[in-house]
Amino acid sequence: MRRALTLLLFFPAAVCAAPPDGAKLYTDQCARCHGPAGEGVKKKYDKPLAGELAVPQLAEQIRKTMPESAPESLTKDEAAAVAAYIHEAFYSPIARERNRPARVDLTRLTVNQYRHAVADVVGSFRWGVNQWKDGGQGLKGEYFGDRGFRTRMLDRTDKLVAFDFGTELPFTPPEPKPKPADKKEEKKADAKKEDKPKDDKEAAKKAAEEAKKEAERKAREEAERNEYAVRWTGSVLAPVSGEYQFVVKSDQAVRLWVNDPAQAVINATVQSGSQKEYTAPVVLTGGRVYFLRLEFSKALQGVKDKKPKATPAFVRLEWKPPHGTTEPIPTRYLSPNQVPEQHLVTVPFPPDDKALGWERGTAVSKEWDAATTEAALEAAKYVVAKLDTLLGAVQPERDINAEAGNPGGLNLDRKRGPTPVTDRDKKARAFATQFVERAFRRPLTPEQKELYVTRQFAAVNGDTDAGLTRVVLLALKSPRFLFREVGNNGDGFDTAARLAFSLWDSTPDAELIAAAGKDQLKAPEQVRRQAERMLADPRAKAKLHGFLMHWLRLDQDRDLGKNPKRFPDFTPAAAADLRTSLDLFLDDVVWSKESDFRRLLRADEVYLNGRLAKLYGADLPADAPFTKVKLDAGRRAGVLTHPYLLTTFAYADQSSPIHRGVFVAKGILGTGLKPPQEAFTPLAPDLHPTLTTRERVSLQTKGANCQSCHAVINPLGFPLEGFDAIGKLRQQDNSKPVDTAGEYLTRSGETKKFAGAVDMAAFLADSPEVHAAFVEQLFHHLAQQPVRAYGPDAGNKLRDTFAKTGYNIRSLAAEVATVAALTGRSVK
Amino acid sequence: MPRASRREFLRTLGVSAAVLPFVGNLPGLAFDNQTRRKQRLLIVFSPDGTVPWNFWPDEVGKDFKLKPITEPLEPFKDKLLFLKGLSNKVRGDGDGHMRGIGCMLTGIELFPGNIQGGSDTPAGWCSGLSIDQEIRNKLQADAATKTRFGSLEFGVMVPERADTWTRMVYAGPNKPITPIDNPYQMFNKLYGRKKDNAALASVLDDLNADLKKVAGAVSASDRKLLDDHAAFVREMEAELKADAAAKDVGHKVPELEPGVREENDQMPKLSKMQIELIVNSFLADFTRVATLQYTNSVGEPKMRWLGVNEGQHSLSHEPDSNKDAQEKLTKINKWYCEQIAYLAKRLADTPEPGGTGSLLDNTTIVWTNELGQGNSHTHNNIPWLLIGGGLGFKTGRSLKYKDVPHNRLLMSLAHAFDHGVKTFGNPKFCGDGPLTDLG
Repeated sequence: MRRALTLLLFFPAAVCAAPPDGAKLYTDQCARCHGPAGEGVKKKYDKPLAGELAVPQLAEQIRKTMPESAPESLTKDEAAAVAAYIHEAFYSPIARERNRPARVDLTRLTVNQYRHAVADVVGSFRWGVNQWKDGGQGLKGEYFGDRGFRTRMLDRTDKLVAFDFGTELPFTPPEPKPKPADKKEEKKADAKKEDKPKDDKEAAKKAAEEAKKEAERKAREEAERNEYAVRWTGSVLAPVSGEYQFVVKSDQAVRLWVNDPAQAVINATVQSGSQKEYTAPVVLTGGRVYFLRLEFSKALQGVKDKKPKATPAFVRLEWKPPHGTTEPIPTRYLSPNQVPEQHLVTVPFPPDDKALGWERGTAVSKEWDAATTEAALEAAKYVVAKLDTLLGAVQPERDINAEAGNPGGLNLDRKRGPTPVTDRDKKARAFATQFVERAFRRPLTPEQKELYVTRQFAAVNGDTDAGLTRVVLLALKSPRFLFREVGNNGDGFDTAARLAFSLWDSTPDAELIAAAGKDQLKAPEQVRRQAERMLADPRAKAKLHGFLMHWLRLDQDRDLGKNPKRFPDFTPAAAADLRTSLDLFLDDVVWSKESDFRRLLRADEVYLNGRLAKLYGADLPADAPFTKVKLDAGRRAGVLTHPYLLTTFAYADQSSPIHRGVFVAKGILGTGLKPPQEAFTPLAPDLHPTLTTRERVSLQTKGANCQSCHAVINPLGFPLEGFDAIGKLRQQDNSKPVDTAGEYLTRSGETKKFAGAVDMAAFLADSPEVHAAFVEQLFHHLAQQPVRAYGPDAGNKLRDTFAKTGYNIRSLAAEVATVAALTGRSVK
Repeated sequence: MPRASRREFLRTLGVSAAVLPFVGNLPGLAFDNQTRRKQRLLIVFSPDGTVPWNFWPDEVGKDFKLKPITEPLEPFKDKLLFLKGLSNKVRGDGDGHMRGIGCMLTGIELFPGNIQGGSDTPAGWCSGLSIDQEIRNKLQADAATKTRFGSLEFGVMVPERADTWTRMVYAGPNKPITPIDNPYQMFNKLYGRKKDNAALASVLDDLNADLKKVAGAVSASDRKLLDDHAAFVREMEAELKADAAAKDVGHKVPELEPGVREENDQMPKLSKMQIELIVNSFLADFTRVATLQYTNSVGEPKMRWLGVNEGQHSLSHEPDSNKDAQEKLTKINKWYCEQIAYLAKRLADTPEPGGTGSLLDNTTIVWTNELGQGNSHTHNNIPWLLIGGGLGFKTGRSLKYKDVPHNRLLMSLAHAFDHGVKTFGNPKFCGDGPLTDLG
């Protein structure tokens, strides 16, 4: 009895006591002087209520000073409620931003755009940069019968580099061929035969010598067979931006190159002690294709081993991508095609503002400015060091200045090697002009050319490298490079730039610039055609994939750790597999012919490998690669029931209908929800041993104040209760049958009831609200401007087009890019 | 910014072409880390053993005569300390050259590995750190002795190969440090920022001019972003100026001859350039610990400028009876000694900034080798020769030991820096502690 009483008293107070209503308090006591939306009232208090204070600071100020007639008349809770209300409604910078009339703002390049743009401006002077040819096939493997990569035995494509060669050779050694020397001997012997052997003894001696030599040769060949080497070459596609840990595991001499073919990132020619694993971090940009080479030599190094032994050998090429675990670099990110190196921006940048849900470059900071300076210096050094290759000239001499990357050398290497590139200075000036044009995404006016190129070379008195350094620094620090379409010229070049940044996060390619020059980017069809072409590029694929991950709210690192007692098989490797499974599904839908959005929500198939099949109860061999399978016959539907998503929106032990419901409500349906007034800890299951998760959530959120949001959230989360904390199908929760009933009140006022996940997914796939939310979010992700700035009807029009194309995701992306490309910045 | 001040700005950055001779003391420089005498250690390596009878003085004690190889050091005779009779006792995996260089500064075994020498078992990297790094760590841990780099690793014609024969400095087990043998690369490490700042400063006027133009072309509501950007550019300009004013008083950036290639015949020039950078690094207090590695163990330079056309390592295998070869090896080793004499002279001619005496008074050069003699590959009687007053040892002497493990000398180097290590390297060879008769 006592315990029941405690519960009665405790819970209503702690969880669902109605706090003071901030909005009502504001209207009653503040609006008279400050206006209904804090805009101010003439002759009372005419300045808008706006500032930078955080809620607690604001609350304290209100409590002490307001209302003017009776300061300190509000309780602490009341002041806090008013503060929270006005902060969210109009006071805070974010609220002001939200309330502002929509316009297309001037923005700077986002960090990702900066990295792509610098790489592409430099890369435009090389052939084949960022080509993803034969992507997804693996690496080219060249196998050699010696330790020094000389005797070629076998060429093939290897899907993965994960070999345990044991003591066997990785190729069939050829039959020993008779050596040319032998032929000569035979001829000699023949000649001698004709002459008749002079002496039988001599012949016998000869034969014995022959036999001895033959035995020696065989022994040598035998010995050589225990030495071999493999070189894997090709390219690697970085699916997302971030730091990749490249890992080579081997007990033999290995070296790895990533991007720069002249500088190994891992050099483990020396095997020493027990170290068998080597790691190198490399920061890569998502959607870019990088040179890759791995050399492996199974032999002692140094002085040649006269009798190499048949010892075991292994080699594995792995990586730990951002958000991932260490795994062999998957085949789908490898290509046997070699690409040229790229310029890598290694300078760290502060992250972009994502307060509105998409990356925006609407503010600059000192850190950002300093990063652009460092990155400009880095690019200038790179360009000067590699100028001769960028000019297409061959420079056979080894130049230690260039090799040491000493271009900062400015006045050091004024005298270069004995054979300078002909007309180097002249070519460098031509290069400089094009470099600036490509950085600015448009031809230079005569005045700009004078300022950015001619003056810079004139100032350094014939020192080509110093002149070029100045040009690159000036161009990459210029607002014409750092800011988007800053001149607002309203011509085809601006259109080309907007198109390229929307779809590639980068500068226009030669084809776009040519089209702009010929005035062929005027009509929507012309622009759309370009957009459709551009979608095939790996940068576009990465950007669309990044958008889908954002749409699913999976673009932040979340803790996927589960209780190992309840889910012993849910290892980090399994979690990484789940992410791969989702990646494969998303790419499958987007890049299929129909590219049908509704399949994202309806598909009843899941990609599983052997490990996941065992975990989720599908019938696949233990070592099966990822395969599309129908899981849980008819109980799954697209992304909503994908185990990665269900695992993400769950606790370590329990499912979380609230997280899942918030995701469906905000992400999929696009409804606005406010965060809870204060942080709550979920009710502990062991305090309520008889309740299911659904019942506990209902209990905790039953108060009227909670229900304003949870009436929407909970019934959208409950249909997913048929899946536990790792997204596995379940019939029971806490020994009771799960209840998967749910509902949603549409904006047109209709209440939709769902029996479970599949039912809800079917509704969502056809819901205009869902389509509108998807369109709007995609627009923001691509254009990085508010869709409302493109006209009050822009969103609706796009949604109609979406419907007309059978909800084709790629067509929508092209259409969004087209709309955004054809509209310039707001002038007012 | 007016033109005149721009020029002045560039001048104070110290990047004008004028080459001024070094003026010793740097007036106005405030050294935080100068509460006591600065001590510096520079370890110089040359390969393949020496010619013992042309290296070691016959006499023991204060009165000794220099032999042909060390003749170039005659002007510094009172600053010399010959240490004969020290042996590298470390055994285990690796051939004589590998253990010679790999255990020289570490005093501990190599790991087993996959690098096969001409004899013995294959080996990997060393299993411990080297004494220069031990001392570096000690100095860097104390604000009074901390410097910008802590240590600098110089090289001359070190092959483009990372293996046990080419590395002598270790930051820890399996952590060899690659010497920088390209003087331009070292220059950039030391002075790159200065060059960068000068290049940046040179474009700021033009950048500001264009910023103004652009700002005029955008709407009022968008201008704030550009104004913020312009403010940061102005801030950068101010910082560059302050930086130039603060750190540049009296310190000249050395000028290197441009375009010197890393090839055999340029070795004398490369050597001089690296020495110039070492002296300047000490002068500017960039570091107090440095190493200078000529080629590598088994090094094969062809000193054609001395009239020696054979490679050094090939010559070093010739027997004592081959007079011609021994004469050439003497010439070769004398050339290394000339480099050290030049280095000693540059240090002796440079007054200690903010202190007394010369840089050499506060620097000890330790010249050593991976072998005692090439044709026997002996690890006994390794040529250890110390020059200068950095460690406070009693110089002007020729000492002789009886087959003492060289670990004890390594310990002495640390103890001279007030770093009382109980052992260094393999403790088995540290039994009797640091050498007792150096101070």
